Amino acid sequence: MSERIRVWDVPTRVFHWSLVLSFCGAFLTAESERYRDIHVMLGYTVLGLIAFRLLWGFFGTRYARFSSFLFTSREVVTYVSALVKGEAKHYVGHNPAGSVAIWLLLFLAISSGVTGVLLFQDSGGEVVEELHEVLSFAMLAVVLVHVAGVAVSSIMHRENLVRAMITGSKEARPEEGVERSHAWLGVIMLLVVATFWAGYSAVNAMAPDEAVSQAEHHDDDDD
Amino acid sequence: MSRINTLLILLLVVMSGLAIQPALAETPNQILSAVESSAKTAPEFRGFSATRGEQFFKSTHGNDWSCASCHTEDPAGSGKHAKTNKVIKALAPSANAERLTDPAKVEKWFKRNCNDVLGRVCTPQEKGDVIAYLLTTRK
Repeated sequence: MSERIRVWDVPTRVFHWSLVLSFCGAFLTAESERYRDIHVMLGYTVLGLIAFRLLWGFFGTRYARFSSFLFTSREVVTYVSALVKGEAKHYVGHNPAGSVAIWLLLFLAISSGVTGVLLFQDSGGEVVEELHEVLSFAMLAVVLVHVAGVAVSSIMHRENLVRAMITGSKEARPEEGVERSHAWLGVIMLLVVATFWAGYSAVNAMAPDEAVSQAEHHDDDDD
Repeated sequence: MSRINTLLILLLVVMSGLAIQPALAETPNQILSAVESSAKTAPEFRGFSATRGEQFFKSTHGNDWSCASCHTEDPAGSGKHAKTNKVIKALAPSANAERLTDPAKVEKWFKRNCNDVLGRVCTPQEKGDVIAYLLTTRK
């Protein structure tokens, strides 16, 4: 007996799609100084979102908790080899292969974010610069593997995992669902992100004019 | 076991690669002559000129930014990022000995910044002119 049950709570979904937006945006704005302020703003957003997710991994609902996707390497191997044969076991939350991508993404988001902050504060040297690029490209690679995995798993288990991450629900046994959606926390997260973006943009919109006029009119008083 | 060894070796190679970089440092003149050898392949190559480099550096090339928008009109003084307001260390080797000593860095920043200012990559002629200009500016 299966019916529509709630699997992903609202904060987990808000986190997921905000991270998608922030990471993609940061990646796309990396190559130009024109978008440097947006790149930095999105990098801070990634770090803020991850900080929340680390807490939510302990205090969130069942499938958001780290304990629900801590698999042994044997479980991962078993899952993947079953997947190849087309008979992988169905998991309501993260499956073992997917969880590997999640752990990698958490690590890469933190490390690329932190190296970015170090660079922006001029406290990193060339090695940090290289690391920031390597880690960001590695993160993009894992994102692509993650998306491919979602596609494979969706086809194999005949369930739309993308839709599940939007609506929060899946078809499963009723007792496997989570009770609370914590919608209020999701709303607060969206408000915090929106306020940060608006505030950061407003502050930056004022500052550059000052810099340009200084460069044009006060060439002599360089410190 | 062999997989761990391969990983270790890979890690060591990467680390030594990162560590070796400073040893490959060049002088600004070596970097200039490398640019010159690729500029020479163009039939219209006229040698490098600091005057032309200065004009290039201060011109907006029909857009809104010039090199000087961030680096200021005095490359021997520190600059200020036009978007983030952050201090940029002086470009001229006379004021900042680290400048023009790492070919990869020079390539990387010419590529990024030419794209921002001109909307295209710079030609070797343009790069050489700018480097020639940077080498003549004094504190």
